Amino acid sequence: MRESQIMFLQYMTGLLVLVFGSFHFLLISFLAPTSDKVLYSYGGTGYTHVLVGGTLYYTVVKAVYSTLIWGSIFELLLTVLVFHIFNGFRIILSEQFQGERTEKFITYSLLVIALIIFIWGSRTIVLMLSGGV
Amino acid sequence: MEGLVLKGFGEVVKTVTFRIRRYDPEKPDLPKYMEYKVPVQRGMTVLDGILYIKEHLDPTISARYSCRMGICGSCGMIVNGKEKLACQTQVLELNKDLIKLDPMGNYGIVKDLVPDLTKLFRNHEKVKPYIIREEDRPTAEYLQTPEQREQYAMFTDCIMCGLCLSACPTSAADELYLGPQALAQAYRYLSDNRDLGFYERLNVIDSKHGVWRCHFSGACSEVCPKGVDPALGIQLLKELATVNMFVKHKEKGAVKGPDRKSVTEIL
Repeated sequence: MRESQIMFLQYMTGLLVLVFGSFHFLLISFLAPTSDKVLYSYGGTGYTHVLVGGTLYYTVVKAVYSTLIWGSIFELLLTVLVFHIFNGFRIILSEQFQGERTEKFITYSLLVIALIIFIWGSRTIVLMLSGGV
Repeated sequence: MEGLVLKGFGEVVKTVTFRIRRYDPEKPDLPKYMEYKVPVQRGMTVLDGILYIKEHLDPTISARYSCRMGICGSCGMIVNGKEKLACQTQVLELNKDLIKLDPMGNYGIVKDLVPDLTKLFRNHEKVKPYIIREEDRPTAEYLQTPEQREQYAMFTDCIMCGLCLSACPTSAADELYLGPQALAQAYRYLSDNRDLGFYERLNVIDSKHGVWRCHFSGACSEVCPKGVDPALGIQLLKELATVNMFVKHKEKGAVKGPDRKSVTEIL
């Protein structure tokens, strides 16, 4: 691939990280407990708060994350994040360590690590889509 | 004109200490910096100060210079931490009692303040800094309107002093980076309507250590003594490379556009 094509992808994935990342954080803030959904119970040693319906309960979170739309968004977020991060590493390392062999080693090493992380992340998303653990 | 004397001219205004970076490959025990007291007169430049030291205090000191008027670009160095032409920097305007002189960064050093500019010329050569045409010998003048010349006029002011490459943070890390001088010159020829070397040059600039390694710190444009804006040239090159990223590069040729078409038709 030509460097301009790679850099175009780098900038585009940067923008997409912002878009999908915003969705991700918006979702978390919608799920977050609000004061009316938190029960406080006072005991002898202080107080604890208990989360109730519509909050960050595992089952609630799982129900949202198990939908195909959110699963797709997370898969896209994972894809653009992995590309953006590892291509960024490649650029930084190529600037620091020059030479054809060194640069090839950097590129392929990062490609392998990126693929492992991508597969592992995808596995988590697919597991969640298929009912979770 | 006889008897006309400029007021204050020739009088010693103050004494300034020049702290000069010393390096001699044949004298490894030379101290890193040496200090010299220089009587400063009005109108005295940093280069004048160096020449005063060479003539009166230490003849072993070495610096690169030629025209003494900011045209040849030979006397680039780091004056008090900033890249400047020594012949264009007035000592009194610096308003300091101590002037620290270092050779330009991102180059090797030949001796004292003399940098090894091999990298600068090598990179300049890589971008093919000349008009590329299909024909071997021109049969007529290549025509150009004043508006077409305006497209690249600023970049022709480059005197190849190398200050921009010295200030560039990417060049400090990436030895193979083409650098602001070469890239700005690449843009100068790419935007020249008489040039047909678009694809040839694009292969060079759109490479791993080409135009995309610029992180736009803008240091190159800040230090240019001729007011050239290499950072702008690099961003415009990025635009050119992006627009043509799916175009298959040929050996020779030009971008299709009204400017170049008109020239071909005229010829």
